[in-house]
Amino acid sequence: MSTEKLYLQHFNDEARSLDYYLQKMGGYKALKKAFSMSQDDIINEVKKSNLRGRGGAGFPTGMKWGFIPKQSPKPKYLVCNADESEPGTFKDRDIMRYTPHLLIEGMVIGGFAIGAHHGYIYIRGEYTREAKLLWAAIEEAYAKGFLGKNIQGSGFDFDLTVHRGAGAYICGEESALLNSLEGKRGEPRVKPPFPAQVGAFGGPTIVNNVESLSNIPFIIDKGGEWFSGLGKLERSGGTRLISVSGHVKKPGIIEVGAGSVTIRDIIYNHCGGVLGDRKLKAVIPGGSSAPVLTADEIDVIYDIEPLMKLGTMMGSAALMVVNDSYCVVKLLTRITKFYAHESCGQCTPCREGCRWMEDILHRIEHGHGKEKDLEMLLDIADNINGKTLCALGDAAAGPVMSFVKKFKSDFEAHIRGGKCPNA
Amino acid sequence: MPKCLINGKEVEFEAGKNIVEVAKKAGVEIPVFCYHPGLTVVAQCRMCYVEVGTPGKDGKVQMIPKLQTACSTAATEGMVVLTQSEKVKKGQKATMEFLLLNHPLDCPICDKSGECDLQDNSFKYGDAYMRHSEERRTYVDLDMGPVIQKNMNRCIHCTRCIRFGAEIAGIREMVAIQRGNNTEITTIDGKELQTEYAGNYADICPTGSLTLKDFRFHKRAWMLKKTPTICEGCSRGCNMEIHHQNGVLERCIPRENMEINRYWLCDEGRFHFRDIQNDDRVTTPMIAGAVSDWNAAIAKAKDALKGKKTAILIGTDLTTEEAKLIKETASQLAPGAQVFHFGTPGVNSVAQDGDADKLLKRKSKTANLNGIETLGIKPLESLSGVQAVMAFGGGRAVMPELSGVSPSNVVAAGVFFRSKSSQFAAVLPGLSFYEKSGSVTNFQNKEQKFVRAVASPKGCKPLSEILMTWVHQDKSGVA
Amino acid sequence: MAKILSQKFYDEMKKLEPRYPTKVALLLPALHQAQEETRWLPPEVLDEIGEYIGIHPAQVREVASFYTMYNLKPVGKAHIKICTNVACALRGAEELVEHCEKKLGIRCGETTDDQKITIMEEECLGACGTAPALMFNDDYVENVNLSKMDELLARGLNS
Repeated sequence: MSTEKLYLQHFNDEARSLDYYLQKMGGYKALKKAFSMSQDDIINEVKKSNLRGRGGAGFPTGMKWGFIPKQSPKPKYLVCNADESEPGTFKDRDIMRYTPHLLIEGMVIGGFAIGAHHGYIYIRGEYTREAKLLWAAIEEAYAKGFLGKNIQGSGFDFDLTVHRGAGAYICGEESALLNSLEGKRGEPRVKPPFPAQVGAFGGPTIVNNVESLSNIPFIIDKGGEWFSGLGKLERSGGTRLISVSGHVKKPGIIEVGAGSVTIRDIIYNHCGGVLGDRKLKAVIPGGSSAPVLTADEIDVIYDIEPLMKLGTMMGSAALMVVNDSYCVVKLLTRITKFYAHESCGQCTPCREGCRWMEDILHRIEHGHGKEKDLEMLLDIADNINGKTLCALGDAAAGPVMSFVKKFKSDFEAHIRGGKCPNA
Repeated sequence: MPKCLINGKEVEFEAGKNIVEVAKKAGVEIPVFCYHPGLTVVAQCRMCYVEVGTPGKDGKVQMIPKLQTACSTAATEGMVVLTQSEKVKKGQKATMEFLLLNHPLDCPICDKSGECDLQDNSFKYGDAYMRHSEERRTYVDLDMGPVIQKNMNRCIHCTRCIRFGAEIAGIREMVAIQRGNNTEITTIDGKELQTEYAGNYADICPTGSLTLKDFRFHKRAWMLKKTPTICEGCSRGCNMEIHHQNGVLERCIPRENMEINRYWLCDEGRFHFRDIQNDDRVTTPMIAGAVSDWNAAIAKAKDALKGKKTAILIGTDLTTEEAKLIKETASQLAPGAQVFHFGTPGVNSVAQDGDADKLLKRKSKTANLNGIETLGIKPLESLSGVQAVMAFGGGRAVMPELSGVSPSNVVAAGVFFRSKSSQFAAVLPGLSFYEKSGSVTNFQNKEQKFVRAVASPKGCKPLSEILMTWVHQDKSGVA
Repeated sequence: MAKILSQKFYDEMKKLEPRYPTKVALLLPALHQAQEETRWLPPEVLDEIGEYIGIHPAQVREVASFYTMYNLKPVGKAHIKICTNVACALRGAEELVEHCEKKLGIRCGETTDDQKITIMEEECLGACGTAPALMFNDDYVENVNLSKMDELLARGLNS
């Protein structure tokens, strides 16, 4: 098992300062190296690293950067997605509050590689403290010439701005994020065009997650191959910060080489086992939008492809553990309520369907379900899944389909018994 | 031209066009709600699902697993499109079901009924059975001013109105507030709509959420007869359709003409028929403000002009045919009379005309300034030395200041109003655009013909008949 | 129209303005800044922001109402937002909500009669590893239990 950790040892309040970053983490060394490289070389190094987006989709970061046009009449932008709003996910918050310079350095390198001179960190509104800490770190970086004009004598200019969201899950979707950045409602855009062609303020834009960008200095400093080697499966490089929550004895963030552990390892070896030593009921492996797994399915390697094969996803690497003390029907109702609450309302299936599913589930939870409800729920979820303007519809449909199929007897017990059997 | 296959049929298309348009040209209907050819594409309603495949490098067509929205997908060479596959049908049925979950289904009392996209598409693509048994979402509507009646419960959130306001009318007064299932489309705090194009909100609304107050509960859409016509409101000559029943005008809606008005109509033009269909309009021959008959009125008119230096004024709100006839008959009406045109104060010629706003309105408030100028008729400069006036108008042209001419020496023929003509020697009532046929030439030099939609009020006569009577009355002694 | 927002607001906006290529992009920062001053955003404040940015007041309203953090209704001096999403629910958030509702005699979304405390159910705050979590005004409070909750309520009622 790989023991190499890039982040975790620095997740403390001392690590935040520029001094610490320069002295203990070799800070801004990678930036100097990057300035001596060509843009293509940097992008190739990132491609070699097998870094895959840490926000949820797992798209190869290097390939994404490659989509940006070399020449553009409009300014290009690099935007950091720090909206971290998929329930269960809390790793980016720690990166921003403990190692903000890692993110800043990653963004300057990224900006240099794609030819952007302005970067925005779109941070969820609730992270007020983290936004202030980021601003403070940015000011430090400006003062020491790591941001601003002619950075470290390279001739490259880069400005960085923290932009706060204001309470909307959907702004984690990159095109909604861009609308929100532009001062609009956070509604996802029709694609194509993709942000790499028409993004922020009409210019070509790359949107990357906090952890993705924070990995860049490591990749440039130690090489893409080295980074790739941290991952155990062929296509995933680096370490993964996994947010573990729910019914485990030691919830929190763990860091492991990508693909180096199973879910069982995470629960029992890293997080001290199931809370109250109760029976494991369910695991939601990749944020609340990921289809649920049963206790029988936890020997899967915790990485993108193996989870995909099981019909679920790694998402933002947020693992939520549920023991048998909590009603799964109630849990699904809560999850569905969340997606209904966060639907932007633009497209029909999501706006209407999510609330409808919530209403039905609420009924079932409280003992007013009908036999045909389950079949209907699956059909409604199917009518949403893959048919919406953005991925929120899928995020709402996935849990419904998986919970109803995998925990059918729990739902039936509610319907037939006219109440929650555990109530 | 590139070609694609729609439901197995080869279709040529113009590069860049979306599948909805390409299919429409090929006679294949793809149902839509949010899509409107004059507005940006938002792909929100998810009604226009199609299955799409594109040929790979080996030429084999690869179907995209997910349904695509036809409005936001451009046709490409060799593309395969299926508009009625089982998958598409299920998608359409699903969208219809979602849209109707919270719709009140109050078609029997809804003005949109009979011309409602939601109703039509539900009938064609939806299911007659409803699975939804939860409580419906309801809204409280605030007033939006005199033009539009809002009923948010009927709204399907297509956002056409928002986009019309922002993109066409140039004002972001209709907005979506809140979000998700609670999204409400509205002005804020019951503010009145400010745009002078508000009627279009009702036209483009695909359901009965925004309807015209003016038309409210007047008629069922299917009872109306529809006649294409030209707006007489300004020199643009917007194409429109007048809807009427039993000779009563009920409403006007725009008719698409991409070179003139595209899809739109201003409120002034739309509701102009109300000014015509007005109790104030003179609909019987009048002498000095009192009801008379044709013989007496014409005799009185002749008397008023007799032996006086007369100016004949032709309103630029008349058709070219009418103006020509007047010009040709002028010497018989009043020997030696000078002929001028009049219409909009301050806009005496095509050269002085221009755009009055960014969308449709023109400075000239009459429809045929260009056509009448082309006949060689000069604008009225001054009435000095003139003792009598014979004015021909269609109801829009503004009578010039008659300084020096006593009203008792003024004769008016055409569409005039009691309140403004009671002192005239005689008024000979004529026809509005809706009651006659003819042609007008707009500022772009486009000559447009229109035909009669409804019969005129009983006491009115076409100008040709009035002139004929005038000329022949002396000879026979009887009109 | 008399200005409600302070000079500080306008100074902050002036500082941010060069960081964006359009003025409309200042809308979210402006709403945040204004709310810091006024606690909630009455129509007059929204209109003032619209005028400053140069957009129709309806456009300010449509944006402000999209985001849950902008208070379009008055809130108590202590604004307590309790996360009840999955991770927090699994760790006892519902109990916390019930406790608050009982103790204050109000339901979620309501404010105490003395305008001191508003409680709300909140969606995931991104503090799932330290669940249950809540926001007390702008601050996170994590690993909340009933006694911690009581302290917070006391703090709110004494404010």
